[in-house]
Amino acid sequence: MPEPSPPPSPSPSPEAVPERPHTGHGFGRLLVAVYGLLALAATGRSILQIVEYFDRAPVPFLLSALAAVIYLVATIGLARGDRASVRLATIALTVELVGVLTVGAWSLADKAAFPEKTVWSHFGQGYGYVPLVLPLVGLWWIRRTARAGAAADADVARSAH
Amino acid sequence: MLQPLTVVLLVASGVLGVLAAHHLLRGRLVDDPLIIVGAVIELALLVQLVVGLTKASAIADGAERATFIAYLFTVLLVIPASVVIAVKEKTQWAMAVVLGGALVVAILVARLQQVWSLNA
Repeated sequence: MPEPSPPPSPSPSPEAVPERPHTGHGFGRLLVAVYGLLALAATGRSILQIVEYFDRAPVPFLLSALAAVIYLVATIGLARGDRASVRLATIALTVELVGVLTVGAWSLADKAAFPEKTVWSHFGQGYGYVPLVLPLVGLWWIRRTARAGAAADADVARSAH
Repeated sequence: MLQPLTVVLLVASGVLGVLAAHHLLRGRLVDDPLIIVGAVIELALLVQLVVGLTKASAIADGAERATFIAYLFTVLLVIPASVVIAVKEKTQWAMAVVLGGALVVAILVARLQQVWSLNA
């Protein structure tokens, strides 16, 4: 167990002591809200595209569906905030960042492959570049809460001795 | 669509945004005025849903009509979700979420009007 000796508190007690950093609290609420919105937007768009006109451009439509799944995983992972969830969210955000960069560059280089927009084409231009900025902000936030969490653990360990 | 309703919705989301910004700067959390403005928006959105559904057949293109209807329903989720998140948060980030929610409602309402005016 990596937890230090004193209070074995699996569920955070909000009012007691300064709150332990959590990816879904504070600024994280805004992040979760924005991720939830993007999950909704991407899911809606991909369902519509796949149901209404899949034959027109299968690649972008499948990418929309992939983006939808990733946003969903990121939303839930950040909101839950336990160790495994945060690790999952980190993976989702990394894939998202790679995805938006790859698809963004690809959509500019080969316009024929993207007759239809996806959340990620042109680096998320259709969504105010939010899909490009969001994974960077999200990864920064995860790193920040993890560090603050480690610092808090160290404090607890120190005061115990 | 009903242009007056769109104007009402944009103004109401503007009011909610200003209120949230004010609370954010003053360090306040969710209170009655905020909930009331949110409820007014939600009510107007429900009216918009009914009006939109009755008029949706005017949009000839099937995909555009589906988009229009999807937006009508999606926009209903934003205010309740923002308020639920904001109530749980006890720091100023609560108001940032409400501010973001107001902005998203305004964007979605404008998008609805756009889809409507381009296709009907």
